[in-house]
Amino acid sequence: MRVLVVEDEATLREALRSRLVGAGFTVDVASDGNEGLFAGQEYPLDVAIIDLGLPGLSGLELIRRLRAARKAYPILILTARDNWQDKVTGLQAGADDYVVKPFHFEEILARLQALLRRAGGWASPQLKCGPIVLDTRAQTVEVQGAAVELTTFEYRILEHLMLHAGEVISKSELTERLYQQDFERDSNVIEVLVGRLRRKLDPHDDVRPIETLRGRGYRFALSRDPPS
Amino acid sequence: MDSLSRRLLASVAVPLALFAALMMLVLDIGFRTLAERSLRQVLDSQIVALIAAAEPQPNGGYAPPPQALDPGLARPRSGLYAEIRSPQHRWRSPSMAGLSADFGEPPASRQRELYYADFGRDRVAIESRTIRFENDPHGARTLIFSVAASLGPYEQQLWRFRSELLAWFTGSMVLLLVTLAALQHWVLAPVRRLEREIHEVEEGRTEKLGTGYPRELAGVARNLNALLIGERRRVVRYRDTLGNLAHSLKTPLAVMRSSLPAGTPPGTLGAEIDRMSGIIEHQLKRAAASGGALLGAAPVEVEQVATELRMALLRVYAGKDLIIELALAPGAQFIGDRGDLTELLGNLLDNACKWCRSRVRLTAGSDGAMQVRERLSLTIEDDGPGISAADRARVLERGVRADASVPGHGLGLAMVRDTVDLYGGQLMIDRSPLGGARVAVRLSGR
Repeated sequence: MRVLVVEDEATLREALRSRLVGAGFTVDVASDGNEGLFAGQEYPLDVAIIDLGLPGLSGLELIRRLRAARKAYPILILTARDNWQDKVTGLQAGADDYVVKPFHFEEILARLQALLRRAGGWASPQLKCGPIVLDTRAQTVEVQGAAVELTTFEYRILEHLMLHAGEVISKSELTERLYQQDFERDSNVIEVLVGRLRRKLDPHDDVRPIETLRGRGYRFALSRDPPS
Repeated sequence: MDSLSRRLLASVAVPLALFAALMMLVLDIGFRTLAERSLRQVLDSQIVALIAAAEPQPNGGYAPPPQALDPGLARPRSGLYAEIRSPQHRWRSPSMAGLSADFGEPPASRQRELYYADFGRDRVAIESRTIRFENDPHGARTLIFSVAASLGPYEQQLWRFRSELLAWFTGSMVLLLVTLAALQHWVLAPVRRLEREIHEVEEGRTEKLGTGYPRELAGVARNLNALLIGERRRVVRYRDTLGNLAHSLKTPLAVMRSSLPAGTPPGTLGAEIDRMSGIIEHQLKRAAASGGALLGAAPVEVEQVATELRMALLRVYAGKDLIIELALAPGAQFIGDRGDLTELLGNLLDNACKWCRSRVRLTAGSDGAMQVRERLSLTIEDDGPGISAADRARVLERGVRADASVPGHGLGLAMVRDTVDLYGGQLMIDRSPLGGARVAVRLSGR
């Protein structure tokens, strides 16, 4: 999952970045509104965290411009002003949720995961597709009730595929969500990771959760369980 | 007497009526004196003529010759009568024919005074002179000459005069008062306008007083406007300052919290940060609540605020399958600050969304029978677990949460209570027919 953090307070920005990286996100940071606008338009983001009190381009204006540029990923507002008028204005501008400073990092994480789930059409933090259950809060995966050990990259690929279960995800899209910088985009890495994922999730080759669509990408093929 | 115009009118009308009454009395006395004097002159000249014309008669009495008689004395019942009386004889004027009447004795002490008697139904004024004839052929004798004039015409005149006087005075009084009322209406028009405009400002229908007041009131209007605008600006600046203060206090707190190493147990430092942010939150919010309608601020449409909040909350709770129902009486308005209403409804609706299973309902109505202070009723209900009777009083206290597992600082309901108290409204918590909590608030509105 690739997240953009737009926050002018350096210590806070750095703390958020390291915590989010620790939680398995790919993190882009921006220290003011104009940088945020550039990053928000140029990078393939899954979610953005935007402080409302930014120097230069204000947080509100940044959100409006991103929405005007047809960026549809969820946006989480950080605000020091805990009043409903400001929240309403922020949400009207196009944000999806807010967190009031000073926050607990766990709260930010929970909101982010909820926003990502919602964006993928999942209602609960547990993504269930047949025998495979992925818990976005605990970042664990179970197959038929048995825990499966995944590396960070494997987990991220599976989470992305499952959040968008049924959709075709290209290799380059997966690469962008794994790496922060445009390294040499070696699609072999993705192929290797997907191959390892398949063996871990489906050792007997009878479930076939991940389809390969030649030339187009991958698709998580198991249908979502209806919410219990 | 609580109205300036009534006072003014009364202050003019009462002396005017007294003056008119006094004038009427004076004129009446004057007229009567005048009429009496002319009556007396008539009687004087008649008696003088009678005395001059009186001649001894063969029968020993005295009488004027018929051709010398005043026509008034010759015509029967003319209203002018005469008598010449001696101890033995009596002559009466032909005008007294058939009239049984007695001139009576003239009051001895007041020889030349008029006195009064009734001739039949006619009241008369009488003048008598007693004259002693020394060289009469029949010996010295005393004669009493009397002349009487009916008071009828005189009284008629008097009454006509009085009624005319009354008519004139009443007419001019009415005319004067009407003119005065009209003048006063014109003079007091700016005061009435000032009163009306202040009322409009109070009700929020206009922002400030208009211009074009007369010199004496222009200063008052200008100063009031300056006060209104200054007050509004002050509140805006005050809130901005509080907002900036919150921002500049809470960002460092967020930095402090984020600097705690990941996974540290919630130790002393974390708890202190929580406590500080709680205090900042509460005190700043409390200070920012305006606690009353700003004079001249327009009333807030409940629908506008509710619709915005509904949109915001549906966004925030997009992961929850819920319905927010708005049952708002058309035109329900809150007389007060928009921020206060947004805060109050935001907190209550947020609570309801947090706790509900799937339904939240906001009802707003304006009850004309209540006094303005409690006219707007807002009810927020949900179908969640509700608040137990024991918890109802407790949740209104600052920082108490009935269930700590649902996020929130627990300040929501206490803030709501503070706001309601500031506006002098009412707050009640009970159970909703939907199954969950019902919070009913009464605030100033229309």
